[in-house]
Amino acid sequence: MIGPLDTILSLVLLSILFSFGTSLLPGLIKVLAFQGVIVSIVPLLLGHEMATGEIVFTLITMVIRGVIIPLCIYLAIKKVAIRREVEPIIGFNASILIGLILIAAATLVSRNFVVPSISDSALLLSTTITLLVGGMFLLIARRNAIAMVLGYIMMENGIYLAGTTFSIHSRHIVEFGILLDVLAAVMIMAIILQNIKHTFDDMDTALLRTLKE
Amino acid sequence: MMIESMILWLLGILLAPFFSAIILKIKAFFGGKKGPSLLINYQTLSKLFKKSSVYSTSTTFIFKLGPMVSLCATLTVLLFLPIAGHRALVSFDGDVIFIFYLLGLGRFFTIAAAMDTASPFEGMGAAREAFFPIICEATMFMLLVLFYKLTGELSLAAYFAETRPLALWHMAGSSLFFVVVSLFIVLLTENSRVPVDDPTTHLELTMIHEVMVLDHSGPDLGLIELGSFCKLFFYASLVARLICPFDMGHLLPNMGVFAGSLLLVYVTVGVTESVIARFRMDTVPRFVLSSFVLAFFAIIITMEFIK
Repeated sequence: MIGPLDTILSLVLLSILFSFGTSLLPGLIKVLAFQGVIVSIVPLLLGHEMATGEIVFTLITMVIRGVIIPLCIYLAIKKVAIRREVEPIIGFNASILIGLILIAAATLVSRNFVVPSISDSALLLSTTITLLVGGMFLLIARRNAIAMVLGYIMMENGIYLAGTTFSIHSRHIVEFGILLDVLAAVMIMAIILQNIKHTFDDMDTALLRTLKE
Repeated sequence: MMIESMILWLLGILLAPFFSAIILKIKAFFGGKKGPSLLINYQTLSKLFKKSSVYSTSTTFIFKLGPMVSLCATLTVLLFLPIAGHRALVSFDGDVIFIFYLLGLGRFFTIAAAMDTASPFEGMGAAREAFFPIICEATMFMLLVLFYKLTGELSLAAYFAETRPLALWHMAGSSLFFVVVSLFIVLLTENSRVPVDDPTTHLELTMIHEVMVLDHSGPDLGLIELGSFCKLFFYASLVARLICPFDMGHLLPNMGVFAGSLLLVYVTVGVTESVIARFRMDTVPRFVLSSFVLAFFAIIITMEFIK
């Protein structure tokens, strides 16, 4: 039987596959928002005692990860009125197949890891690895700057999952600090995007090669 | 026991056109129309069987063989199906592979008959009909791998008869949701339903399955129609057994539950057809591929728990 934690984790894995297959930016943002929400729920389901402060931190994390960051990005693309396609370097069908291979490989690799996890869920480590590598893949395989930022956020989700589940003490404080960094990065990104748009009329990062001093 | 299975098999064939008419009714309801009567498919079949067939001079015996072989293949497949969870008429170890290649044989003859007419449109339809089910076959075999992993057996009866589906849910849990969805996508693709193919389109360029049967007429067309109703019934009962895996212990209540869950599947097909427009031809593979992805995904998750 699969418990609630594993159901949530399989939803995370599924959201990774979806994010590889979506061709439009708003869809990708929604998938990432969904992923952010369910990744932040995971600490609540680990089945161990949590102080009130920890629960509050987790909920705030969920709001930032699931609502504020996606909303920032959504407003940014709305404002600069860029093209809504993610402009893949690797096609969608190939991306989905690569995603499957990633999940399979992560499952194989995670069996050889010995980590002092606070939960004995079989999917936890493989989900974490898939999130990290999947985020990198999204960074590599999409040319649109926003899609790259979303890949970076997916990696951050993976780091959060690793941090909250594999460390024991005061992890929420550390994670919260990382999250604030990401929030700042997303806001800076929104400003830079407007500048790129202003200069090139496009979000294609390939155009940045033409920048000269 | 044997007699009951026989009666269920006959009932399945007899009721398949009725269930298909439910889809038409649902679509009419969504369009704000009254829709045809629920017996429309019987009327169509009897009308077709009363007519005589017309054969083009460019066709050979393959063209006449096509509808017959594809119908017979589908009827044989129904022999292996545990209808309403009751024991199937025929069952042996490894019959699932036989079943899916029987369906493949039926499709092969439909395609061969279409090529036999030497019409360029039918050749195009045949190419498409051959392409999409390739991905479906990958999905089906992924599902078989999963079921084999769970039960250790390779026969349809071992997965869908009596209390077996419930046991599957106990073993695999939530990953069976993915199996149900991917099986439903296979159902839509194999039976050329809307997001993949539109059975009511009148434009040869956008047809897949329909274009291949354009040249068939009279009883031949009737055989093809009956075959497609039975094929839809086959896939729908697989899905129905999975979404409603209960066994009442008695034949009549079992049949009631089964008919109810079948109705649910057909209504879902009707609703899907009403709310989704058919996909552009180049996005269809991605849709079909998602069924493969879900099946593969279910395997990975399940492998983690059953070692």
